Amino acid sequence: MLKAIYRLAWKDVIADFRHRSTFSSMLFFAIAVLLVFQAAFEPDPQEAQRLVPGLLWSTVLFTTILGLGRVFQAEEENGALEGLLLAPLPRGAIFFGKWLGNLVLSLLVMTMLVPLTLVLFNVTIWGHVPMLLLLLFLGTMGLTALGVLLAAMTQTARSRETLLALLLLPLVAPLLIAGVQSMNSVIASGSLTGPWLNLLLIFDVVYLALAPWGFGWLMEE
Amino acid sequence: MNRLLAWNRWLGWGTLLLLSACLWMVFHVPMDYQQGNAVRILYVHVPSAKMALFVYLILTLFSIWYLWKKSETADILAEAAAYVGAAFALVTLVSGSLWGKPMWGTWWAWDARLTSMLVLLILYVGIIALRNAFDDTVKGGRATAILAIFGAVDLPIIHFSVVWWRTLHQPPSFNQSASGPTITGPLLPPLIWMSVAFVLLGMFLLLLKAREIQQRRTLDAMELERASHA
Repeated sequence: MLKAIYRLAWKDVIADFRHRSTFSSMLFFAIAVLLVFQAAFEPDPQEAQRLVPGLLWSTVLFTTILGLGRVFQAEEENGALEGLLLAPLPRGAIFFGKWLGNLVLSLLVMTMLVPLTLVLFNVTIWGHVPMLLLLLFLGTMGLTALGVLLAAMTQTARSRETLLALLLLPLVAPLLIAGVQSMNSVIASGSLTGPWLNLLLIFDVVYLALAPWGFGWLMEE
Repeated sequence: MNRLLAWNRWLGWGTLLLLSACLWMVFHVPMDYQQGNAVRILYVHVPSAKMALFVYLILTLFSIWYLWKKSETADILAEAAAYVGAAFALVTLVSGSLWGKPMWGTWWAWDARLTSMLVLLILYVGIIALRNAFDDTVKGGRATAILAIFGAVDLPIIHFSVVWWRTLHQPPSFNQSASGPTITGPLLPPLIWMSVAFVLLGMFLLLLKAREIQQRRTLDAMELERASHA
């Protein structure tokens, strides 16, 4: 079953690099969002350092929504979802496959986003980069778990992209707060502990445990 | 369900009577020595806040019931509950804001409870929007029920995260064990009666909305029937 999950995720990632190109759209969208923040706030380097956690998390949130809008697009266009659901796999495994594919793309974007942000905003906290990346990775696990479920929920609805954003943003508010606060403490003290990190992990565990179950209910015939 | 809906008008008249009596009481309680007349907003604010949360509990129960038993009644009641809950959440935020300006000196603060209530309102709106984005009632009902249950899991997490994040709000006035100002004496009975009136109001609105939804679904079904014959 692990192999099936991996195959499903790999199929999505390969298909994306061959022609769907969600990855490059996400990356350039992220850069555009950074441009928007620069134009909106014009921070000097000190302000920029204070703003970095918020900049990173908001950019990640918007970029992830863009990617999530496409998770079920190929399935929807070609009626391939029925085929996928007919595969001799539990619904939870199909969920994890779709989740993993989306997660890999999002993590690749983030790996490039963090150094880009530091360069574009002239913030020299290069020593913290691994910690910042780790926090983004942890947060993105829960974010995409909830996001893929919501993408499945809205895929046959009208104006699904708007709905996805409207539903995702309030539900991930705790993740955003925990992510920003834990990054603040990393930048201030360099240590990666405390209640905010725990909240981030709780969010991941709750959504990774519940989202496959929700997906199963959703795809029931 | 139809019998229940027919009796709802009497519930409506009863609610109106009790609410009027409560309003009379509210305008006859003495002024608070710190808050003056502004304390009277509390009699709308606190019951609607409690109802905004309570209706979400009801919404979750109907959603579970719908997923489990596939009962259309549960689906209709869940759809109605989202509207009622959104209304109470909006009243809570607006009344709180009106009270906040003279008392805290600001219409809005990013305090824990204000933030949770705002997220709750957006969640209710999201639930209504998701439902309305489907033509197929079964698909829409199922997606909305799952969203509502996920929201129910998320609300405590949201609540605790914003409590850690910001706390400025008064401690609850009902909780007698808390240190800090509590509500006592002549100010308390109207609050209890008002809470009862709001529970009745919530039930009345829920059934009223449920009847409208039921009638609309019947009409849609007839429309489909006619279109298929033409």
